[in-house]
Amino acid sequence: MTTAISALSTTLDPAPALRLDQCAKGAELRIIELLSQPLFGQQDAGVTLRLKELGFLPGAHLKVIGFGLMGRDPMAIQINGTKFALRRTEAAKVTVEPLNEPGSDQ
Amino acid sequence: MSTPLRFALVGNPNCGKTSLFNRLTGSRAKVANYPGVTVERRIGALSGFSSGAELLDLPGTYSLTVTSPDEQVARDIILGKMGSETLPDALIAVVDATNLRLGLRLVMELKELNRPLILVLNQIDAAHKRGIEINTAGLSQALGVPVVETVAVHNHGADALLQTLKDFAANPRDTDVVRLPAEHGSVENSYHKIESLMSQFVIQPDHSPAWQDKLDAVVMHPVLGLFILFGILLVIFQAVFAWAAPVMEVIEAGTEFLGESVLNILPEGILQDFLVNGLIAGMGGVVVFLPQIVILFFFILILEDSGYLTRAAFLLDRPMRGIGLSGRSFIPLLSSFACAVPGVMATRTIQDPLERMIAIMVAPLMTCSARLPVYALIIAAFIPEQTVLGIFNLQGLTLFALYLAGIVSASVVAWVMRRRQTREEFPLLLELPSYRWPMAYHVMIGLRQRTWIFLRRVGTIILALSIVLWFLATYPAAPEGATHSAIEYSFAGQLGIWMQPLFAPLGFTWEMCIALIPAMAAREVAVSALATVYAVGGESMLGETIGNSWGLPVALAYLAWFVYAPQCIATIAVVRRETNSRAQTAFFTVYLFALAYFAAWATYQIAMLWH
Repeated sequence: MTTAISALSTTLDPAPALRLDQCAKGAELRIIELLSQPLFGQQDAGVTLRLKELGFLPGAHLKVIGFGLMGRDPMAIQINGTKFALRRTEAAKVTVEPLNEPGSDQ
Repeated sequence: MSTPLRFALVGNPNCGKTSLFNRLTGSRAKVANYPGVTVERRIGALSGFSSGAELLDLPGTYSLTVTSPDEQVARDIILGKMGSETLPDALIAVVDATNLRLGLRLVMELKELNRPLILVLNQIDAAHKRGIEINTAGLSQALGVPVVETVAVHNHGADALLQTLKDFAANPRDTDVVRLPAEHGSVENSYHKIESLMSQFVIQPDHSPAWQDKLDAVVMHPVLGLFILFGILLVIFQAVFAWAAPVMEVIEAGTEFLGESVLNILPEGILQDFLVNGLIAGMGGVVVFLPQIVILFFFILILEDSGYLTRAAFLLDRPMRGIGLSGRSFIPLLSSFACAVPGVMATRTIQDPLERMIAIMVAPLMTCSARLPVYALIIAAFIPEQTVLGIFNLQGLTLFALYLAGIVSASVVAWVMRRRQTREEFPLLLELPSYRWPMAYHVMIGLRQRTWIFLRRVGTIILALSIVLWFLATYPAAPEGATHSAIEYSFAGQLGIWMQPLFAPLGFTWEMCIALIPAMAAREVAVSALATVYAVGGESMLGETIGNSWGLPVALAYLAWFVYAPQCIATIAVVRRETNSRAQTAFFTVYLFALAYFAAWATYQIAMLWH
């Protein structure tokens, strides 16, 4: 699992973009883009679509609100006022940048 | 128009469709604050329409591009592709007003279908409380559909919605063309439109209520949260035993009083024997467990309704992945503690087909409420009532251990099944709904429904089986000068004696074998069957009798059997329906019986070493 994710980071990140799964609790972030996730295989496009439908779109603001116990997985995210539980494999699809002024969103 | 109009409620999981459905139809569908409770569509009649009207309650969905079997049901009905189901005449899109963006996105997709649409802004009171103001008229004009505000848990707005439906019935829009939803890529566009609508017609404060976030910080804390979760589970099991006791004693006393009255009033004979040992002992022995079942469901309903269960799913996702399941399986498996039938149906919310199959296979290992009477009887008879470590009741702990045995076994089985398959990743993507104060109205409806289902079983299946059992245990009568007890000569006795060699390695007596047969219809009937076989009424008397005749190793082996055996035809039937596979159903039945036999055998042999 961990090896798969670190392998992913080398293949997906030619430029060092920050991925959602690398962010700390309490971080307020803006989504840059959604990447593909080889671990999802053929259904990756479907996962991307569902993420978008739930509001994970470039430009959207979100906040990391918590992590599970083992391997800090899954993670809890608040976006557009709604909370979601995401696994790190899903979160790794989302590249983000920090929001400098917390609370200035929307 | 001769055919009744059909309206379908469509919306995100947990937006309050089902409670709105209850308000409008007066029906009592199950309502809960968990995404995915309505795993099947429900239908109810609407009153006040000249040509009649029906309302459909569909499973919650985020999108018409489906990812799980329950969403597939919703999509197929919306598009009129569901076998014999006709296309709904109008769609009622239900949007949680506190969660507008997510709801409106589905509305955008539904609008594309070119079907008559009515938009309902539900939970408008909660939205107002959070300072969300919605310009309903403006939204209606911009979207080109009627918009109605409702509070599903009260009658507020339900009348207005009904009036809107009647207006539609008076001038139905003639659109028989269903435009298929556009393929991917329009998500950005629809959110673009939603943002524009939001900025024009909605005033929304930035923050969700602070207490919700503070509560989540504790409840979803990786360590503290797990302590809270296990604390809650332990309290439930303690309560099932401790709180129910006084009420159970009252019911028991009533049953015994009834039996004694009949003994005094009627002359000795067949009728007296039938009433006392057949009917009163048989049904009374099961009714006595009603308080425990009510308490168990009370907790499950409150946890569901409050929104806590998805937090538990969040906490348990990673541990459950270790055994090849996910947080999504948590709710179906927890429901199985009440009854495996709704539990197996709730697996439709699981996206991964293999995970769903595994969840179905292990769901009956979760201790359902029908096992409770059997466990309670044997625990009360064999486990002393004493306090351990100052606070725990030994009987309660034993019950907890039995539940734990089921959970651990389910974990092992799931792990073994997953190991045999190559692993494919599926996303979790679980919405954590806002906390809601559990509504007394919902809990009462849920409890009433459960009590009714239980009493109806007592009045039908258990009544019938009690009569049949009494008959089998009474005839043929013992011959003149018989040396053994009368029951050994009866049909039931002969059947039990015939079965007994098969169960001899487990230490089961022929009386115990008899009880296994009617338990196939309903596990709790094992209790009344034992009461009939031993010809005693009242739970404490039955407990005393088996306490004297079984011995601890046999009792433990019997408990072990009931942990595993698929002693319930209804469960086997629902597995057949949900897997749609004879091979899988056969596997399910055989593996569970094999496990039950082995566990009871091992328990008996090990316990004998100590005995």
